[in-house]
Amino acid sequence: MSKFVAESWLILLLGLVFAVLLAGAQTSLQPTIRVNQQKALNEAVGTVVPGTVKTEILPVTGYDREVFRCLDGDGKLIGWAIDAAGMGFADKIRAVIGLSADAETITGLKVIENVETPGLGNKVAAEPRSESDKVWADQYQGLSAGMETTVVKRTPIKGKNEVQAVTGATISSKAVADLANKAIQRVRPELKKQDRPATAESR
Amino acid sequence: MAEENGSNLQQFVDGIIKNNPVLVQLLGMCPTLAVTNSVDNALVMGAAVIFVLVMSNMVTSLFRHLIQPHVRILVFTLTIATFVTIADLVLKAYVFEVSKKLGPFVPLIIVNCIIIARAEVVASRSGLLRSLADALGCGLGFTLALTLLGLVREVLGAGSITLPGWRILLCDPKVFEPHAWVIMIMPPGAFLTLGVVIGIITQIRMRSARGGA
Repeated sequence: MSKFVAESWLILLLGLVFAVLLAGAQTSLQPTIRVNQQKALNEAVGTVVPGTVKTEILPVTGYDREVFRCLDGDGKLIGWAIDAAGMGFADKIRAVIGLSADAETITGLKVIENVETPGLGNKVAAEPRSESDKVWADQYQGLSAGMETTVVKRTPIKGKNEVQAVTGATISSKAVADLANKAIQRVRPELKKQDRPATAESR
Repeated sequence: MAEENGSNLQQFVDGIIKNNPVLVQLLGMCPTLAVTNSVDNALVMGAAVIFVLVMSNMVTSLFRHLIQPHVRILVFTLTIATFVTIADLVLKAYVFEVSKKLGPFVPLIIVNCIIIARAEVVASRSGLLRSLADALGCGLGFTLALTLLGLVREVLGAGSITLPGWRILLCDPKVFEPHAWVIMIMPPGAFLTLGVVIGIITQIRMRSARGGA
């Protein structure tokens, strides 16, 4: 026992001190990190549902992430944004999926958190380098929300709800498609219910 | 790696030039190749490594007489992992955009062999001042090498120089884009640039060694 203590006291002590340091850093920085993440989330919502000025959270029972009602400047419903997450190749991938107001069409998808392999898997989160630049996630624009999207290795066939996998990163691509499919399947029935009274009013 | 008994200043300067961790010792190749596609990535990665190096060398030097030789690697790793986690949190809080681009490469500083090498070679057998001088020298050497690669790659591949916070366009993107060497900001560009830069540096070192003899 005394030999054990003699050889390890420094490690135990350092471990303790470091744990306190880490706890301190975590507690003091977490609020700022939260704000940054919230900002990134808002920006992502604006990308997947273009024209969003204001968002309201729509509570969906049994769905553990947020669903946003996207409104334009006049407060009219222009679409839905779903915060979704799923397991990727390395760790969790988080994405925001945009749906049209009638929940029939996918208006966009943006991966906001990932630690996929740089240069391969992380292309699913690629940001456009210029305004005309097309990125991987743009394939989602205009797909149907009513049926599952499938990941294919060839050029996608129009009308079959297909997205082409990132070359060399089929797992990451499938992970994104998977989390999007699951989230849409879970949330869409709720959105359809929400949609009816709103459109009835506007008419 | 023999350690001469030079001054602390000499130790600092050697870390940047004679013993440059990236361009001479060829250590820390993973971040060197992976995050040098833009200048801001290189600078932020360099700053994180300087912080971790300084803290790790400081702790190791302070406790060097107490660390049991057969568990020293454990102590080094514990120290490095702690400060890398802190650096990661700070980056996420204050340079969120860059930290998102660096992704897993910040946590991966834990396995950057420059840091453990400095702890083993210098800090575990030198006083505090010398260890700090060494950490700052090697950290700056690392940062300068990464920034140099980032500068070459970003200018040729994207026609811009990005600093944390703002981006300098060297010419109109519409004019530049058709002529951009996109490969330079992709992984092969890292190998090409690193190879050419190391070639030039080695040439200069051989010349000056011959001239000195």
